[in-house]
Amino acid sequence: MATFGAAATATENPNKSVEVAQPPSDSVSSLSFSPKANFLIATSWDNQVRCWEITRSGASVASVPKASISHDQPVLCSAWKDDGTTVFSGGCDKQVKMWPLASGGQAATVAMHEAPVKEIAWIPAMNLLVSGSWDKTLKYWDLRQPNPVHSQPLTERCYAMTVQYPLMVIGTADRNLTVFNLQNPQTVFKTIQSPLKYQTRCVAAFPDQQGFLVGSIEGRVGVHHLDDSLQSKNFTFKCHREGNDVYSVNSLNFHPVHHTFATAGSDGGFNFWDKDSKQRLKAWSRCPQPIPCSTFNNDGSIYAYSVCYDWSKGAENHNPATAKTYIYLHLPQESEVKGKPRVGARK
Amino acid sequence: MGKKKKRASSKVWCYYCDREFDDEKILVQHQKAKHFKCHVCHKKLSTAGGMAIHVLQVHKENVTKVPNAKPGRESTDIEIYGMQGIPPDVLAAHYGEEEEEAPTKAAKVDVPAPQLVGGVVPGTLGVTYPPQPMAAMPPMYGSAVPVPPAAWPVPPRQPWFPPQPAVSVPPPPVGYAQPLFPVQNVRPPMPSTTSPLLQTSQVTPPGLVPPPPPAAVSQPLFPVVTNNLSQSSPYPAPLPSTTVLPSVPAEVRSGGAITNVATGYQTPNLPGMAPASSHSYASGPNTGGPSIGPPPVIANKAPTTQPAVNEVYLVWDDEAMSMEERRMSLPKYQVHDETSQMSSIDAAIDRRILESRLAGRMAF
Repeated sequence: MATFGAAATATENPNKSVEVAQPPSDSVSSLSFSPKANFLIATSWDNQVRCWEITRSGASVASVPKASISHDQPVLCSAWKDDGTTVFSGGCDKQVKMWPLASGGQAATVAMHEAPVKEIAWIPAMNLLVSGSWDKTLKYWDLRQPNPVHSQPLTERCYAMTVQYPLMVIGTADRNLTVFNLQNPQTVFKTIQSPLKYQTRCVAAFPDQQGFLVGSIEGRVGVHHLDDSLQSKNFTFKCHREGNDVYSVNSLNFHPVHHTFATAGSDGGFNFWDKDSKQRLKAWSRCPQPIPCSTFNNDGSIYAYSVCYDWSKGAENHNPATAKTYIYLHLPQESEVKGKPRVGARK
Repeated sequence: MGKKKKRASSKVWCYYCDREFDDEKILVQHQKAKHFKCHVCHKKLSTAGGMAIHVLQVHKENVTKVPNAKPGRESTDIEIYGMQGIPPDVLAAHYGEEEEEAPTKAAKVDVPAPQLVGGVVPGTLGVTYPPQPMAAMPPMYGSAVPVPPAAWPVPPRQPWFPPQPAVSVPPPPVGYAQPLFPVQNVRPPMPSTTSPLLQTSQVTPPGLVPPPPPAAVSQPLFPVVTNNLSQSSPYPAPLPSTTVLPSVPAEVRSGGAITNVATGYQTPNLPGMAPASSHSYASGPNTGGPSIGPPPVIANKAPTTQPAVNEVYLVWDDEAMSMEERRMSLPKYQVHDETSQMSSIDAAIDRRILESRLAGRMAF
């Protein structure tokens, strides 16, 4: 049994994932797949937003760098427009840039904040872009106007965002989770305190909009339902821990088809889970560095994750000379991402 | 680290449902109750085969599947007693998995367990918002710390919303987000109907210390729902410990499990060891954990093997700032002068809080 456990130590790519060509020169802060095709966007601390085309033929997968734009400062987040033509990216330069990838146009600034922009999302149903910033606001942008359509104050800095129209959940630095019904975006639907006791790291709305997942720096994920009658179904579980080290859960992604989800953490591991049967479907070997971000492609056939330093051990554990950044592609088997009924389950 | 190994060998688990137990005796009891019980007369047999024969001979019925077993493990032909008789491949697979991520296993296999557990360890919050720092910089901090009343634990469902009164929000918060919302709202989840009731009853203005009803706090017998409780209890806990110090120890001693409440960092280090650990991953160092310290705790948790209390720690334990914010402060990333990660005065204050907290931590 020890042989399996030890495997993670040495290799750079213990899960034998496909490595994306020409990765960024500094850590990756976000990954987004086009909703229409296998174009992968990575934003990085090296100020760049890069795009690759991922091609598959059978079991072989190739990545071809396509284009890139740059910000003046590190980029923190990215989002695609629903038609797959345009990419948005926001970051430490306090701006959101719109990059009309399909037309080959220049990137233009479409949103401004007073502090770095941590999260963005495109809301097709409203034809608006929403941006969340450390300036403690959410802003909604009609791309044709220089000013936000609406600016929503938050109780604290925005750390995490998820949108499944009409549900939007914002995680802030004070561990509040602010829930919006986007049919009425100017009103907070409700604010709840995170079911987790530590800093909120990531959130992911259920595909059925009945609730959301929240991940914290304390290696724990909360499964939370919005409907009060379902509160008894809420639970939290531990993950991304090794021995006495408790790592942050950095990324939560629902599988677009099977509605199971993936967690990825600072421990360098990623797991697939099924919240309905409360089971872990698959655990992967730990990579030698943290996984700060990950995403599924539009049909869930590719899981992209980045392996690079996420700052979880501070600046003192960062060695720019040796730090390497990777982006890997994993092709999940159906058995890894398809929920299984729980036998003998007490519902 | 060494612990994991130990654990892999010391933990016993049920072949039929993968549930883990600390003791093989308990495991045997579990198997008798869950998997070897006659469905007709509820007699508990010692093995699956025995149960099948009993049912056949006494009740003239055929039993081919072990009840409550996972698919593929339902055979009555394999003779299992406790940990004996488990096919080697299953055994190997189990431990192989375990090795990879021991702590989660529990959650995966049997979620109710961690939940139960959760109730015990409400203390964690005490760690993040250690009482001491709180006292050190009262106004800011006080506002940042949610002050839900100590009484919640009673109805398990409540804790999900009380958080509203939290943080910078002034006293009215309770009814306030919610009443507004129904205006247009179309979505089914409608908290507003029930919650006001619950809330009004339980919310005390933040900042006021509700009289800590020890009875409520000590919910050592957590029902399955407790997951929620665990959530709620931390607040009451730290609070009393700052302001109402005297009362706390009493509480602590009164109910074994609650010790955690007060100290915030007892159980922390046993990821999944003791069923009692689930929430207490405290980053030991920043625990102000005042006078009411660990002793009682350790006494309580004695049966579990771990010796020291602060072994578990958060790799990123800065509650006041995210990794990205800290990273941005590196000169390398600061292209322009004015681009410090802190753009607002508020943020500067946050940082000061952080620093003072760090200072407090050092002291510990």
